[in-house]
Amino acid sequence: MLLEQLIGNLIQGLVLGAVYGMATMGLSLIFGVLKVVNVGHGAFIMVGAFITLWLFNALGINPILAVPVAFIVGMGLGLLFYYTIMQRLIKAPELATLLVTFAIGILLEETVKLIFGSEFRGYNWAVGKINLGITVLPMTKIYACIGSVVIALLLYLWFNKTRAGSAMRSVVEDSEGARVCGVNVGGTYALSFALGLGLTVASGVLLTMFIPVGINPYMGGGYTLKAFVIAVLGGLASPYGAFFGGLIFGLIENGSYTLFALIPGVEPFALTRFLSFAMLLVILLIRPTGLLRAK
Amino acid sequence: MKRSIFKALFVIFILFGFLPAYFTLAEAKSPEKILIGHPACLSGKYAKAGEQALGGIKACIDWVNNVYGGVKLEGKKVPLKYKYYDCESKKEAVTSFIGRLITVDKVNVVFSPYSSGLTLRGAPVTESHGMLYMDHGGANNKIFRQGFRYIVQTIGPATSYHQGTLNMIHKIDPKAKKVALAYEDSEFAKMVMHGAEEHAKKLGFDIVFKRTYPKGVTDLTPLLSALKATKPDFIIGGGHFEDGQLFNRQMADLDINSNALSLIAAATLPAFYKALTNMAEGVMGPSHWEYGVKYSAKEAKKVGLDWIGPSQDEFVTLFKKGLGKEIIPDYHAAEAGAQVLAYVLAAEKANSVAPDKVRAALGDLKFMSFYGGWDVDDTGLQVGHSMVAVQWQMGKRIIVWPEEAQTGGVAYPMPTFAEKAKGKVAVPR
Repeated sequence: MLLEQLIGNLIQGLVLGAVYGMATMGLSLIFGVLKVVNVGHGAFIMVGAFITLWLFNALGINPILAVPVAFIVGMGLGLLFYYTIMQRLIKAPELATLLVTFAIGILLEETVKLIFGSEFRGYNWAVGKINLGITVLPMTKIYACIGSVVIALLLYLWFNKTRAGSAMRSVVEDSEGARVCGVNVGGTYALSFALGLGLTVASGVLLTMFIPVGINPYMGGGYTLKAFVIAVLGGLASPYGAFFGGLIFGLIENGSYTLFALIPGVEPFALTRFLSFAMLLVILLIRPTGLLRAK
Repeated sequence: MKRSIFKALFVIFILFGFLPAYFTLAEAKSPEKILIGHPACLSGKYAKAGEQALGGIKACIDWVNNVYGGVKLEGKKVPLKYKYYDCESKKEAVTSFIGRLITVDKVNVVFSPYSSGLTLRGAPVTESHGMLYMDHGGANNKIFRQGFRYIVQTIGPATSYHQGTLNMIHKIDPKAKKVALAYEDSEFAKMVMHGAEEHAKKLGFDIVFKRTYPKGVTDLTPLLSALKATKPDFIIGGGHFEDGQLFNRQMADLDINSNALSLIAAATLPAFYKALTNMAEGVMGPSHWEYGVKYSAKEAKKVGLDWIGPSQDEFVTLFKKGLGKEIIPDYHAAEAGAQVLAYVLAAEKANSVAPDKVRAALGDLKFMSFYGGWDVDDTGLQVGHSMVAVQWQMGKRIIVWPEEAQTGGVAYPMPTFAEKAKGKVAVPR
């Protein structure tokens, strides 16, 4: 029985971890290229969640189709914020970019609140379930997991097989050297910021496919915290590392619950959180570049 | 020389003799208005309940000023005024706004924000100013064990939340024995769990699962998987609106079926059904008040209580007018409105707005309004109000318990999630 529960939770953790990983790739990409820590990360996830909600409830559009829409909206927001704000802050002290991204996050939250209100919303997209015997997986979660893996693969191919991807990697390696070799560094920064936010907003869609309730303007805070733990776990500047970090995080978060439940007198859920943040501290101390170093 | 000493003594006599007497007289005069201060949760995690509370307060102030004619003080009718700030459901904003309401806006009474945590946070501030603090959103019994002198509760205490549901299941299904408890790790929810556990044991139920989950949780899968393994006859739990939605949704995802599911705070709100649609069919929740309850002046007379306030339908009309929205009030609105009426009766009884006098009068007060009975013990804890159990049936909230308040029969057992996915709705036995 216990083993069944553990395996069931690990399966659930793996599926959730893929979505967590996808939700962190944008954060790692932006940090890797621009050296900007996007503190408003969760607010962009929230934008994706609202895009899904609106498309589904108002227009009846399938949440899978909301992924490209959210990606384009995220790219648009990225270009807008880059050229109006971030461009001026590329060489600014870290505190300035932290404050600016924090402010952008609040701006987004309040704008969404103004349009949709502050209530907790949800949608009901029932497309069946798969009963594995030890656990039940709704198809929506499976679609979200597959979507995350496909997007991660596409990003990998784009980085390694396209000219723009190579340019981006060269800027990560050495921005001055890339400039000397004729790479448009400014354009690459803009593209990276837009791509990072595009991925983040799209991940908001996938997260709602996993958890289609609790959608509200302030839902991003919890995801920002998790994204930082995952990013550090995988390597803050490595999008692929972030994806694998997400998988590890999902497995630990779900799997450890079953094990902590064996300890009498403790609340296992509280300990899973403790473990997540203890892990963050340990990794920062012994391997600050993350489990997978930036490439 | 003697003359100037005499003059100085005369001035001192005037200053220290007559002037205080003048101010005492001025103080005794009835005020031009009674100002109610409120750090309201209009955004953030309690925005839904906060909006309801705002509408309820506005509705009852409207009734007091325009139907009742104002608060009778010193033979004069004094209107109520209302000053509120959005505390964004944040503790630090609650303390700062209460301070501002008392020192800058000079309010006569402070209404608490929603939730036990926020109410408790504001209490030391009102205590330090000797200000009356009316609690409509903090159900945790612990608030009233801190020795605060100025806090008075209108919402029912947390320990009583699931007692009615347990009584009902005990009566309609004596064979059901296994109960699972899964609550949010918050002061309020843990107090509800404590009360439910004690009561369940008293009724002879077996607690087969008892766990909490952290605030702000985004995935309950591990907890619910463990709960599923215990195969409970019925499940009670929850905390606040957002986790209640998640609880129900993920039970559906994991195909966890039980005869009954009762969730505090979330299940009674229309937004719960709106987000979950058919998945919410048959789900129950304890409520302090629900549209359809049968409290009236006639009922009050029967039980020997004074009656004050609008009828249920008048309250609904005034609530809609107050918010400017076509929504039906829920219990958050009713309890917030009822505390306006409690304050009015107490101020009239004390013939004063002085917090000490009104607090003393509230301690002796017993009355009935559209919200039901109202009475507090020495600590300010509400002891005169009974809760009802509400169930979603065919998209509507039906009062299923207690029997004397029922607007319909209970749907028990509730349909399974697989049945609900195929469109089955909850139908009473």
